Amino acid sequence: MLLMELLVIISTILLLYSLLSFVWKAFDRWRNQNCYLLEYICYKPSDDHKLPTDLCSEIVIRNTRLSLSDYKFLLKVVVNSGISEDTYGPRCIVQGAREECPTLDDCFEEVNDCMFTTLDELFHCTGVSPAAVDVLVVNISMFAPSPSLTSRVVNRYKMREDVKTFNLSGMGCSASPVAIDLVNNIFKSRKRTLAVVVTSESIAPNWYSGTDRSMMLGNCLFRSGGCSFMLTNDPSLKHRAKMNLKCLVRTHIGADDDAYNCAMQKEDDDGRVGFHLSKNLPKAAVRAFSKNLQRLAPKVLPVGEQALYALRTLRHRLWTSKVVKVDAKSTAAARVNFKSGVDHFCLHTGGAAVIEAVGKALGLTKYDVEPARMTLHRWGNTSASSLWYVLGYMEAKKRLRKKDRVLMISFGGGFKCNSCLWEVLRDLQDGGVWEDCVQDYPPQTLVNPFMDKFGWINEENINTEGRNIPSHINI
Amino acid sequence: MPRSTTSLPEFSTSVKLKYVKLGYQYLVNNFLAFLLVPVMISVALELIRLGPEEILGLWNSLHLDLIQIMCSVFVIVFVATVYFMSRPRPVYLVDYACFKPPLTCRVPFSTFMEHSRINNKDEKSVRFQMRILERSGLGEETCLPPAIHYIPPTPTMETSRAEAQLVIFSAIDELLKKTGLKPKDIDILVVNCSLFSPTPSLSAMIINKYKLRSNVRSFNLSGMGCSAGLISIDLARDLLQVHPRSNAIVVSTEIITPNYYQGKERAMLLPNCLFRMGAAAILLSNRRREARRAKYRLVRVVRTHKGADDRAYRCVYEEEDSEGISGINLSKDLMAIAGEALKSNITTIGPLVLPMSEQLLFFLSLVGRKLINPKWKPYIPDFKQAFEHFCIHAGGRAVIDELQKNLDLSPQHVEASRMTLHRFGNTSSSSLWYELNYIESKGRMRRGDRVWQIGFGSGFKCNSAVWKCLRTVKTPVEGPWSDCIDRYPVDIPEVVKL
Repeated sequence: MLLMELLVIISTILLLYSLLSFVWKAFDRWRNQNCYLLEYICYKPSDDHKLPTDLCSEIVIRNTRLSLSDYKFLLKVVVNSGISEDTYGPRCIVQGAREECPTLDDCFEEVNDCMFTTLDELFHCTGVSPAAVDVLVVNISMFAPSPSLTSRVVNRYKMREDVKTFNLSGMGCSASPVAIDLVNNIFKSRKRTLAVVVTSESIAPNWYSGTDRSMMLGNCLFRSGGCSFMLTNDPSLKHRAKMNLKCLVRTHIGADDDAYNCAMQKEDDDGRVGFHLSKNLPKAAVRAFSKNLQRLAPKVLPVGEQALYALRTLRHRLWTSKVVKVDAKSTAAARVNFKSGVDHFCLHTGGAAVIEAVGKALGLTKYDVEPARMTLHRWGNTSASSLWYVLGYMEAKKRLRKKDRVLMISFGGGFKCNSCLWEVLRDLQDGGVWEDCVQDYPPQTLVNPFMDKFGWINEENINTEGRNIPSHINI
Repeated sequence: MPRSTTSLPEFSTSVKLKYVKLGYQYLVNNFLAFLLVPVMISVALELIRLGPEEILGLWNSLHLDLIQIMCSVFVIVFVATVYFMSRPRPVYLVDYACFKPPLTCRVPFSTFMEHSRINNKDEKSVRFQMRILERSGLGEETCLPPAIHYIPPTPTMETSRAEAQLVIFSAIDELLKKTGLKPKDIDILVVNCSLFSPTPSLSAMIINKYKLRSNVRSFNLSGMGCSAGLISIDLARDLLQVHPRSNAIVVSTEIITPNYYQGKERAMLLPNCLFRMGAAAILLSNRRREARRAKYRLVRVVRTHKGADDRAYRCVYEEEDSEGISGINLSKDLMAIAGEALKSNITTIGPLVLPMSEQLLFFLSLVGRKLINPKWKPYIPDFKQAFEHFCIHAGGRAVIDELQKNLDLSPQHVEASRMTLHRFGNTSSSSLWYELNYIESKGRMRRGDRVWQIGFGSGFKCNSAVWKCLRTVKTPVEGPWSDCIDRYPVDIPEVVKL
């Protein structure tokens, strides 16, 4: 019957159409799943921001509440920190001597300088107009004015009305992967989106001027730095992209009270606000790190290595009967060879001890931890943006080749450990902020040149005769 | 009343116009029904005319065998699957809870003025605050945190954290009790608090208190002003589109303790008079089984950022006064800028929510203005057609007045906003949830009703969210209004003499 044939034709057409649209949708979704890093620009403050050791000790001395042992302790930290003479601080502290009472304008000046110089260059390098930005994320942990810093950026660059802005705050040194996670999630439900992320830290309002030792470490280690980077999921921009995000793992062990309290901004006994770093911090870091690695390993390691790991764990469980007291990190990580799945490691430059501990846990060589150690030396601990300076070192040293895999690991208050794996899309050769000094790295020695001048502080019983100690230091 | 058609100025024709308008709306909005109903009626008549034996004969002659039946069934199922899979995941609001401030934190006018006189030595500032309070639309039961009740106020980091713990934990405890949700089942956590951002963040504080899982996705938004609640909802929605079978908790609050201005600058004293303690915790989910007990479904969120305009950017600005004390400066053109931001937001959201009749009228008036006569007044769409309830951020009496005028709303539509301002003050981003609770407590929320939440914030941002009610909310409703809903609505005088 004609009706029957008509029905058959219609159903065939409908079937073909549905099949084609289904295949197209799946293909489209697969194409847009990617998160490409187009460009990243690190912040290089001008030379009048430099904070060498002698200036740092001068600033420390200005705090008239310190006793001699406090002074000793601080100088020891500064000299042994692995930080060079070329790191940067905010202008109001370096030149203005206003570390105890920074004005709001000082804080804005520090943040404006960082954000606007990096963003100007980012837009210039990529040739993208600010009006094309769809998503804007700013993360500066310890400074959140009203209107937010995202509004500041929108105002300066005259971005569109429908730009999605997010101002993340309080997320600590590990905020870069959090911002990337946010953008990645937005990418998954939107096509051809362009995102700009600005990550930095604010030092001017957070200089600690009290006498609690656990809070003074921040003053010695944190330095000015920042980074702006551009992400997109537009497949047509793939040829210009530097890297592609493969996976991202976030771990938060705040449920444990010790971990939550180990890095906290609070008031000391005199009522001064400072950033308290407790003695439990390394332990919390280890726990967060091993939890993160457990979830990261299956996503990063090749199948062969995962099978080997499974076999080794099984053997360990079956054959080792006695209870051996080892910490989780060394057993889990040492039995896994991360270098089989990862070529380069961007470690957060939290301090020399942190870099060494993480390097040991992952079984890394001197070559692998060199970028992190050199970044700590040249820039200090720039908090959330440190990963990008480490990446910049690798790029300046021409280590990044097509198809290489880069793992970024960072730790932060709360306590968090976040990691993300990138795949390099083409041979990268940009000097970036390291252009003028990378040829001097690695230097012959990392020892602080002021060891001589201040080396006496390491001695147990010091003879203060003939030493240049300011009068107000109470002995 | 005639609005767009200026060619009929006579009043006598206005009544007939109303019926014409009604008829037009019915026709356009139910166009499909009008088209299909005659077709169906004629088919039915034809079938009746044919008689039962002929129908049976027709059926048998189709020669349907098993394969063809299976093919057609397969096609239908396949098409349906593709259609359902390509739709975005629905986001359900399972329930929400607002913080109910304790009686001990109440700040009646007399207390506020007395503290003002003692703390602030400048007589002019005290008088200014009194004038603002008289005209503010606030009532006698709004609350300030304990640290501000001290003379002088003690805004330390510790007391700020204490306030945060008090408001946030109360709200979340109530939410968990209402929904029966276990903390281990929370997959996403978004916290927004504009003026207080410690490290570790407030989201870390929540993770610590409720022992959430280590792979929870937490985000802490800060500095984004009074409209940040809807920004958090937008973020949670984006995350729920990507992660199936997840629960998201959104916490909106404002911590007053560290931001109490203690200087003399007038424009900065304004927030002291208006901002009060409050918090809300909202549970969103995309799990199918939550659809059965969810209260609302999120239809749309539209965000508008006017920061590119310098005037808009500077109208709510944190800065230091001449003595170096920092506070929030509210500029005089706040109302005008709010009106403009709202217009931008409306132009985006209008086409997405207005019924066809309004859109057609708007389109015709636009065409008319461009081609026929540029002097025609622009047609302002009637948003009352699209929404049954309006939750306007209780930013202040002037904001509510301005919006009522702009959107041509009746006093009943803005009642929730005004009463929330009276009972709780300006609780910043959580005010929208207090207003929604008011509407529910009054027994006005029915299944199928649509709610429009509008928030304004520094930057200058105007964000709006559209919700659709999935089940009629029965009174009495447990919440911050449960003990006082019977006293409302109250008549709020223009000026309260102090």
